[in-house]
Amino acid sequence: MLEIGSIVDGKYKILNKIGQGGMSVVYLAMNERANKQWAIKQVRKDGVKDFEVVKQGLIVEIDMLKRLSHPNLPSIIDVIDRKDNFLIVMDYIQGNSLKNRLDEFGAQPQELVIEWAKQLSDVLGYLHTRKPAIIYRDMKPSNIMLKPDGKLTLIDFGTAREYKEKNLADTTCLGTIGYAAPEQFGGKGQTDGRTDIYCLGATLYHLVTGMNPSEPPYEIKPIREINSSLSSGLEKIILRCTQRNPEDRYQSCAELTYALEHYDEIDDIFRSRQKKKLAAFITTAVMTIVSLGVGTGFGKAAEAKTDEQYEDVIAEANSLTNEESIRETLKKAISIKPGDKEAYISLIESYYNPQYGDENDMYNFSVKESQEIEELLNDYSSDLKANKSNYVEVSYELAKAYFFYYTYGNEDKSGDNENAKYKAAKKWYKNVIDHSDENTFLYWNESKIYYEISEYYTSIGDWENTGDFKGKYLEYFSNYTQLFALASDNKKINNDNIKLRMYQLLSSALAAKTEKFINDGVPAENVQRLLDQMQTEMQAIENPDSNLESLISSINASNQKIEIKMQAMSGS
Amino acid sequence: MDFLVSASTDKGIKKNTNQDSLAIKVADTSVGKIALALICDGMGGLQQGEVASATLTRAFSEWFDNNLSQLIQEGLDDLKIRREWERIIKNVNKKILIYGQQQRIRLGTTIVAALFTEDRYYIVNVGDSRIYEIKNHVNLLTQDQTVVENEYRKGLITREQADNDPRKSVLLQCVGATGDVYPEMYFGKTETDTVYMLCSDGFRHVISTEELYEHLKPEVLTSKEVMKQQSELLIELNKTRMEQDNITVSLIRTF
Repeated sequence: MLEIGSIVDGKYKILNKIGQGGMSVVYLAMNERANKQWAIKQVRKDGVKDFEVVKQGLIVEIDMLKRLSHPNLPSIIDVIDRKDNFLIVMDYIQGNSLKNRLDEFGAQPQELVIEWAKQLSDVLGYLHTRKPAIIYRDMKPSNIMLKPDGKLTLIDFGTAREYKEKNLADTTCLGTIGYAAPEQFGGKGQTDGRTDIYCLGATLYHLVTGMNPSEPPYEIKPIREINSSLSSGLEKIILRCTQRNPEDRYQSCAELTYALEHYDEIDDIFRSRQKKKLAAFITTAVMTIVSLGVGTGFGKAAEAKTDEQYEDVIAEANSLTNEESIRETLKKAISIKPGDKEAYISLIESYYNPQYGDENDMYNFSVKESQEIEELLNDYSSDLKANKSNYVEVSYELAKAYFFYYTYGNEDKSGDNENAKYKAAKKWYKNVIDHSDENTFLYWNESKIYYEISEYYTSIGDWENTGDFKGKYLEYFSNYTQLFALASDNKKINNDNIKLRMYQLLSSALAAKTEKFINDGVPAENVQRLLDQMQTEMQAIENPDSNLESLISSINASNQKIEIKMQAMSGS
Repeated sequence: MDFLVSASTDKGIKKNTNQDSLAIKVADTSVGKIALALICDGMGGLQQGEVASATLTRAFSEWFDNNLSQLIQEGLDDLKIRREWERIIKNVNKKILIYGQQQRIRLGTTIVAALFTEDRYYIVNVGDSRIYEIKNHVNLLTQDQTVVENEYRKGLITREQADNDPRKSVLLQCVGATGDVYPEMYFGKTETDTVYMLCSDGFRHVISTEELYEHLKPEVLTSKEVMKQQSELLIELNKTRMEQDNITVSLIRTF
């Protein structure tokens, strides 16, 4: 137990106990220096059987959780390993759990439940698309906090997976294992993302009907049997989520999110209305054909028609769910109006964005995909370049895809992914900075920094192959200090998130090769000065949100690594 | 009508503790002989399952000692017994739940309890302990509250699938594990020259219905001694067939 009023790790003052679980106690703590409240979860080592066995898994898991960053997840900012327990320092979530809300008010309004469902599907989708995928396994109202701003936070994340697997050798009770999906009972196939989809369906059922599926009659009925005023679209979504066989459920959260966004369209009432609309459309179409006969081809009219056609095809792409057909449709749009940016940008996004289906292909920009877009850009290069700002924007999007998602060499470890992705990104970032400037393109400064970083990484590869890098690190360090100044210039980069991402890149590039920078003649005190300035800049950020906090802690870790390396060098 | 009763329990070959609890009582009242029999199968780590099953057993036992005579004076009926027993179970549920939260453990217990008067029986069930009526054949009076049994009854899986389902030991509910508990009640006519058998699930996994009938039919159970003997014989049979659980059986023979 932590003593109320005591100071932990020299900075967290324990204010009071706010919760208790099987293995852990949660305290509210205050970092007095930063005047910020945190929750500290104490995981006892003695409460866990075979702690040494689970410890390794726990450390790995916490490390992984620390890297997560999503608006519906609490950030873990610190883990303190003590003799008898772990302390996990994380966001303090103010608000009430959805279980409390259910207990107090019963069934929740449908519109609200759908809004929550979208948030929950989004955060589960985020977890499922991590590498390796994270399966939450314990979706239930008591694990969901509703914050005063209406946003949800998924809690109970500090515990290791080991605790969550259901042990069925002994008799257990349904009520204590939550809305377990059939496959969670073992012997019925592996749990995967679809397990979470089942539990989310059960949660939505509970929220919208007020009936707990783990209580009599122990079933998930069509929701309109309980309340006939509920939507048939939502009913279908819940039933599909909670199918016994995982194959019959939504196969990914992206699919579920799409359904939730269009729940009223799969509604029976909507469908019958659609049929009427279709009838009306056919009438209009007939009239259009008639009037077409009257119209004559003025140039202006033809152009307007191309625009209209282009917009229609784009709209069609937006309404599709199959990744393949979305891309085909977008390519069609490009061929209609190759000078416009929109279809290109959507196509580039579709390669890595999980909203476009294919679960196995999320956040991956493959070689084949890169060839496809490069070819298109090559074919239509003159059309697109006719409008500079369109060209710049498309270049920027493609550079981003390469920089963050390119998988070259990853699949079969056949090639050097790092080198390939920086090389490709560099080319397109260069297009951005060459064809625009900081006044005409919003992300020009950001692009400039990404360009320099890409340049640095690709050059390192080349120097190391030739062995000729005398003076190069010195040169790059001088570039770095300029880049740092640029990133820190609030007039140029007025966005803390971008600023910190830049710092992160600079710091990790320095940390990877600290010795080489110093050996090449960069004075240690210059590096130290850069780190100190970075520190000062970060401290000046007011009320960082959890996202920024986690960036800051990652930068701090990397900066610390640099300092340690430099100390080691000066000592030797 | 009168009752011969016996009860036997064994921790079995695998577990270190016996988490089953039982009570069996017969009272002479103004409306004739009345018998109470119950078995609670506790679950939870280490010694804790025992705490849950013993607490509930004690509560029923105390109710029989302290409250029943008053109830008999007012006149017994199904609704009254239902109210009384639901109250006991819900109270104990809360007690165990709070204890579990304080100790940071999860524990719980099943219960099957039966009250026999000369003309009527009252049964309450939570979980997968059972009560059988054995006269000309073996008749199961309770329904297991397990996930698998529930799905079988709803026609989602076949009997064969149910028997091989890995979720066999997942109960729909038990006492002391969740905020709410919904006991099921059964009522019926007490038959003469009939054996009523209560058991924890450990007693019946590896014993067939035919074997139960052969060993426990009314013609065989002619005295307390024979009842005890036959119970122990079946417990040993369970153990030689490698049953892993605690094993408990109670018998009430009417005559």
